[in-house]
Amino acid sequence: MEERRNARRPRLARSLAVVGALVLALGPTTAAFAHEGEEDVPAITDVQEAIAILAEHPGLFPPEEVTDHAMDKVGDALESNDTLGVLLDLVAEAKDALDAGKTDDALALLERSIGACPGAPVIEPRDAPRTPPPLSSPCPSVAHLQGLDRSPVGGAAEPVLIGVGAVLILAGLGLVRRIR
Amino acid sequence: MSEQDTAVGAAPGELQTPSTWRRLWDALDERLGLKGLQYPIPEHANKLAYSLGGLTLITFVLMVATGIYLTQYYNPDPNLAHESVRRIITSVSFGKFIRGFHYWGAMAMIVLIGLHLLRVFVSGSFKRPREGNWIFGVILAGITATLFFTGTVLKWDQESLEALEHNIEIGKLLGRFGFWFSPSFGGIPFLTRLYVVHIAVLPFLFTLVVAVHLLLVKRLKMAPSPFRHGPEPEPTRPFTKHLAELGALALILIGVLTILAVLAPPPHGPAPIEGIEITKPPWPMLWVYPIEDWVGVAGILWATLAIFLALFIVPFVDRSPERSPRKRIPMMIAAGVVVITVIGLIVFAAVQPVASHIGMD
Repeated sequence: MEERRNARRPRLARSLAVVGALVLALGPTTAAFAHEGEEDVPAITDVQEAIAILAEHPGLFPPEEVTDHAMDKVGDALESNDTLGVLLDLVAEAKDALDAGKTDDALALLERSIGACPGAPVIEPRDAPRTPPPLSSPCPSVAHLQGLDRSPVGGAAEPVLIGVGAVLILAGLGLVRRIR
Repeated sequence: MSEQDTAVGAAPGELQTPSTWRRLWDALDERLGLKGLQYPIPEHANKLAYSLGGLTLITFVLMVATGIYLTQYYNPDPNLAHESVRRIITSVSFGKFIRGFHYWGAMAMIVLIGLHLLRVFVSGSFKRPREGNWIFGVILAGITATLFFTGTVLKWDQESLEALEHNIEIGKLLGRFGFWFSPSFGGIPFLTRLYVVHIAVLPFLFTLVVAVHLLLVKRLKMAPSPFRHGPEPEPTRPFTKHLAELGALALILIGVLTILAVLAPPPHGPAPIEGIEITKPPWPMLWVYPIEDWVGVAGILWATLAIFLALFIVPFVDRSPERSPRKRIPMMIAAGVVVITVIGLIVFAAVQPVASHIGMD
């Protein structure tokens, strides 16, 4: 039994190595794709990626890294050969806002640069394909709620709940052993 | 003292006062027939791998309980939905924790039902005469996936809006059969209709199908172990013992979910904005993201249908009476390829940059 288990270990290690190699191989490959022919990537794609980075990444990565990454995308958008559907003046303003560390302003400007309207209520999604509309009217001045990150519950309840969780786990483990 | 009060197992002529628990059990049994649950089941059923279905059901009950709490504060009006979720997280007593528990419970339910299906497949438990119960199991997996999807839409952040937009596009691909997914159907917002589906329609369907599933498990009995050889019958244990072990495993599950809900509650994305597509779906749905990259929104529909069709036809393809996975190598390879492909697609999608798909067809 022990021999069979030992024989399985190298196989398991090999399988894990293959999965690990795949992950490592895929990461750099996609990054390489991202840098090839940047001018040919439509500006609207670069702007959307910059928005994604600013809107979704805070809390997951250090703030400087988020800003740098978004700045790269904004730079790519400004240098793109295909600027259809993007108001480049607003993208340039977003770049200045990022330079000044005003990420919320930069995010709103980028969203507006492709016709989106932060703060406008969404009742039903519009029909696709969506062509960004020209900004003929100003967006509502309602505050746009930004995301909340994955911060722990906090407060006095936190240690109590963690304690309850730990007790339940230990009780469950004890009961499983006893029943078996 | 009547004969009934004599403890079972007492020596002849010796009278013992039964314990309080014993008397309570007897009293309940007299009225509810609990001893009917002591029917024998094979010993191998008391393993973790054979408790995954039961744990899925327990997780569903936990989802209903935490869901009831959340419905007291959630507002399904699209104008107010995002803010009401924000309020649950920031102002409602235990709101952040209960939402976190609901979120991690949903993840656990997806994983548990997936592993349960895999266990039933590998051990050949779906074979004659249990083909029908396999079909009910696949339907339950489909309902679980739909519960997960509708739940991700209800939080009404950017990811939710984009998920709903994809849903509407898929509805269009279905032609006249996709009428329910049209924003113009029904006269009330699509989000509100999805809320009703999430809190009433799907839980009702799940309860109905799981009742049939459990009745069939009882009627057809547990499938024999695929690893047991020899003529002697497998030892049995009472089903109540299985239930007790399930309860103990449920305590562990609840403990883990509690700690996850406290330390890593789910984030809540920014309020939705139309005209941008900047998010990726959560990991259980991430495997379709690269497919969508390659073939457009239609890829989601075809890939999902293909997976479920493949699951439905399993009992009609693998028809031999042989249950041992070692003697069903082609089926094991096929399942392995599917599982590795899905995991590979999830990993690939995770490292991909975001992309716009709607309107790319």
